[in-house]
Amino acid sequence: MSKGVLLFASNNSHINYVKQAYFLAKRISKYMSLPTSVVTDVDIKEKYPDWYEVFDHVIPVTSMSSAYNNKSYHDGSLAKRVLSFNNGNRGCAYDLTPYDETLVMDTDYIISNDILNQCFAQQKDLLLYKDAVHLGQYDGTTEFKKISDTSVDFYWATVFFFRKTYLTKIFFDLVNHIKENYLHYRSVYQFSSTVYRNDFAFSIAIHIMNGYTKGTFANPLPGKKFYSIDRDILLEINDDEFTLLVEKPNHLGEYIGTKVKGSNVHIMNKFSLERVINDQ
Amino acid sequence: MDERLQKALDVSNYMFTLNNQKRLLKEKYKENLVYYFNGGQFTITQELVSFCQSLLSMEQETTILVDDNDLPIEIEDLKMFTSDLYTKYFEASNQYLVEYNKLKQNRSVESILDL
Repeated sequence: MSKGVLLFASNNSHINYVKQAYFLAKRISKYMSLPTSVVTDVDIKEKYPDWYEVFDHVIPVTSMSSAYNNKSYHDGSLAKRVLSFNNGNRGCAYDLTPYDETLVMDTDYIISNDILNQCFAQQKDLLLYKDAVHLGQYDGTTEFKKISDTSVDFYWATVFFFRKTYLTKIFFDLVNHIKENYLHYRSVYQFSSTVYRNDFAFSIAIHIMNGYTKGTFANPLPGKKFYSIDRDILLEINDDEFTLLVEKPNHLGEYIGTKVKGSNVHIMNKFSLERVINDQ
Repeated sequence: MDERLQKALDVSNYMFTLNNQKRLLKEKYKENLVYYFNGGQFTITQELVSFCQSLLSMEQETTILVDDNDLPIEIEDLKMFTSDLYTKYFEASNQYLVEYNKLKQNRSVESILDL
């Protein structure tokens, strides 16, 4: 069976997701020895002449702009911008992937080890993280445990693994159905935000696939998901070592330094990630 | 600022940073203590190692273990499996010890972060 990583990259006016994908694909090759394909509405082949050394396939799509949301992007605590964010194509991963077994990642999930290679040996056909570890002491209990105080368990769609099977096809079709009827599911699952979130759509779909209860339709991915929020600031990536400033809990704009080595880290502050990529 | 308060705040920052790094080291240790085998995922505990050793002492060569995700996994070569558990346990624990000792020697935020 073929296996590889699939990334989605659609730039907005300030953030170059394609550059992030290019950076990440090189790390995936270095640490995991896996091919990476990218789904994008950008003409990568023209802008990156060495694209074929980095990407296995470039999968062009024209419909990415139909799913634009606006959301706030923080760059630390004291700066933010409201920008468009295209995240609506994740449910199409099943149809777009060139692989039988696929790891899908956000372009800001920075790979520094090979632990996710263990996915391909797991029995379950859908794996994603339910728990995560913040690099500081951000108490995201409410935000990242349930999709709202009165709703279902939260799953991260930042990185997930799936095999092409009859059941996973149904799952991804359901994710697309939830996306198209998002306001209805917002009412049923009792969350307030109208901005489409893949995390929420995946969490709802897993709940439904489990028979409207907790269950084992999806199992956890191998390893731990470390993350920093967009109020934290990435300072440096030196091989597999990350240096960050993380905001003190309940102290707006006060930071402590932290270092982590050999772990995969989700960097939500896209501006600081782009600065670090530019410095590499 | 009162010098006494300034010194206390310096210590406060140092302790916060130190404790956060300790917490991350512990999380990394827990991640390293997971052994993936035959499609299963096993968190290496002293209980698991002891149980496997007990089975070996009863001259069992194979067994079935329930993994972290409640999946029954067949262990065809129990001796090799147990040996791998030991290896992984010692590697992870050694790494934890080395990094913990390195961390606790640091007496300032700057040295903790290698700045």
